[in-house]
Amino acid sequence: MDLTAFFQHLTEILPFLPKIYNPVVYSVSDVVLVFFWFVAAAFSFYFSLGNARLWTSISIGFFLIFWSQAYLLNPYAESYFRVTAVHSIIGVISILLISHGFQEYFVFTRTLEITGSKRTIYLTTVVAILLGILVVYLNPKPTQFALRNYKIMENTVWLFLSLTNIYVVFKIWREMKDSPIANGIICFALVFFCIVLWKGSNLYLQIYQWDPAWQRLVDDYDLGIKTYGMDDFLVQAAQQMHSIGAMLSGLSVGATFAYLFKLLR
Amino acid sequence: MFLLPKGNPLAENIPAAKLQLPEALDKLKNGALTGCAIFDFPGADCALLYDGGKLISAIVHRENKELKDQAALQALVDLLVLASSGSFSVYGFSRDIIQALLGMVNGTAIIDGQEIKQIDFKTLLDRIKNEQMTGTLKIYTADRTGLIFYKDGATIGFYHDASSAVENSAGEVQQIAGLPDAKADLCTLSASQSFSLDLAGAGDIRKLWEAATAGNLFTAAPAPAPKPAPPVQPPASAPASPSDIENAIIELANQFVGKLGKTLAEKELMNAGGVKALKDAATLQEFLGALEKGSKLLASANKIKEMSEAITAEAAKL
Repeated sequence: MDLTAFFQHLTEILPFLPKIYNPVVYSVSDVVLVFFWFVAAAFSFYFSLGNARLWTSISIGFFLIFWSQAYLLNPYAESYFRVTAVHSIIGVISILLISHGFQEYFVFTRTLEITGSKRTIYLTTVVAILLGILVVYLNPKPTQFALRNYKIMENTVWLFLSLTNIYVVFKIWREMKDSPIANGIICFALVFFCIVLWKGSNLYLQIYQWDPAWQRLVDDYDLGIKTYGMDDFLVQAAQQMHSIGAMLSGLSVGATFAYLFKLLR
Repeated sequence: MFLLPKGNPLAENIPAAKLQLPEALDKLKNGALTGCAIFDFPGADCALLYDGGKLISAIVHRENKELKDQAALQALVDLLVLASSGSFSVYGFSRDIIQALLGMVNGTAIIDGQEIKQIDFKTLLDRIKNEQMTGTLKIYTADRTGLIFYKDGATIGFYHDASSAVENSAGEVQQIAGLPDAKADLCTLSASQSFSLDLAGAGDIRKLWEAATAGNLFTAAPAPAPKPAPPVQPPASAPASPSDIENAIIELANQFVGKLGKTLAEKELMNAGGVKALKDAATLQEFLGALEKGSKLLASANKIKEMSEAITAEAAKL
C-alpha cells in the first residue's frame, strides 16, 4: 500500500506538518495487525466498563500496545528519536499493565476479593509514561544505537513477562475451569505464546546482531563489521518466526477477544 | 502473645457483629473444614480448631487468661453477642498442622515459659524426634512470637507473627530465638488425647446462641413478631427451611457460575450475616450486588442475570 501521495497531499493541507520526502509504503499485514490490536483494546475497554479494575489494567495495556504499534505506521516515526524511545518505554508499560491485570485475576480466583480502585491504575499509567518521557528528555537525544538498545530492553521485558503470563493464565484457568468463560481465559495462553515467539525471536536476532537495525547501522556508519552466520538455518528460522509470531499475535489476540466477547454477552 | 498461624484463607476479616454463629459453624461443619476459625475481638482472641468438619478444640484468650472447650464456646457466644467490632477469619490447614496446633492448645506442657538460653536445643530436638512428639514449640518475647510445628517428631512448618502462611524456613523463628529475653513453650499431644471429640455436638452452640441473643437487649436480632392469625386453610406444602434455601442459593451460584461461584455465594452469604438476613430487601440487594461483582469475572451477563433472578425467587421463600 503506497500512501506517499496521500501524506504529501496532507502536508499541503496542513502546512505545519514536516514535508514527506521518503516513500510511505505499508504492508497490508502491518495494517491488519494494528487493526487487531485496536480490536483487542476496544473489547478489553468494553469489558472494563462496570467491571473489576483488573480489566482496566488489561484494557489500558492493550490500548498502549495498539498505540505503540500504530505509531510505527506514522511516516515520521523514524524522524523523532526521542519520541521513538518514549514509545519503547510505553511498550514496556503496556505489558507490565497486562501482567498486573492477569496477576490480579489470579489473586481473585484464589481469594474472591476484588480490591483497589481504577483511578490508581489510570494515575500510575500516566505517572509511569511521564517518568519515561522525563528520563528520555533529561538525557542526550538517543542515537540509532541507543534506540536499538531501547528495543532490546523492550523485547526482554516482553519476553519474560509473557512467559510468566502463560504460567499465570494456566493457574487462573485451573482455578476456574468449570466457569463459563474459562475457555476464553485459557486462549490468552495462546496469545502470550505467540508473543513469546514474536518478541523472543527478535531478541535472539538482536543479541547476535542479526537484526535489520544493526545491519543498517553497520552500513550507515560504515563500521566495517562483518556479520557471520546470517544464512544459517537458525537465523533464517528466527527471522521467519519473528514475522509469523507478529502476525499470529495480532490474529490470536483479535480472535481471543472476539471469543471472550461471545462468552461474556 | 496469642498467635495462631494463617493458612489457606477461606474467609478473612468478616465483621464479627454480622455473624450468625450457629449458621457459620454449620457451614464449617458441612464443608468438612480441616483448619481453624479465628475470632479477633478488641481485648480477646478466640480460635476453633476443626478436623474434617469436627470441632476438636476451642480456646478463648482474654486478659492473659485462657478458657478452653465448653467454657471457651460460652465465652465466644458472649463476646459475639456483645460485639460491636471484631473480625472472623477461616483458614484451611493440612491435618498434620491441625494436630500440631491441637497439641499447642490442648496438649501437655513439656516446657513452660523456660528461657531459651537455659535450654539445650540439641537435646530437646533429639527428644522431640526420639519420642515422636506431635505438637508445637512456641518461642516468644514480649513483642515477637514464632511457632515450630512437629508431627511424629518431624518438623512440618514454621510460623511467626509477621508470616502470612506456614513457612518451610526456620530463618525468622531462629531470629526470635536469638533475642535476649526469648522464652519457649513446648506442648505436645499425648497418646491418650483423643482427636475425635466433636465439641459442636456436645456443646449445642445453637442453644447457647439462642439463649444469649434472647437475653441481650443490645442485640440486632429482631423482636418477636406478633403471633399471626391461624391460616384459614393449611398450606399445600411445608415451607422450606433457611438451610434448604441457603443450599439452593449456593447450588444456583454453582450452576450458573461454576465452582468459584459456589464459593463466592458462600462467602457473600457469610458477609451478609447468613441466609436469614436476605429477608431484608436492602441486604438481599447488597448480597446480589456483591455476588454479581465477582461473577462478572467468571460468567456472562445473561447467566449472571438469570442467577440473580433465580436467587431472588429463592430468597422470597424466606
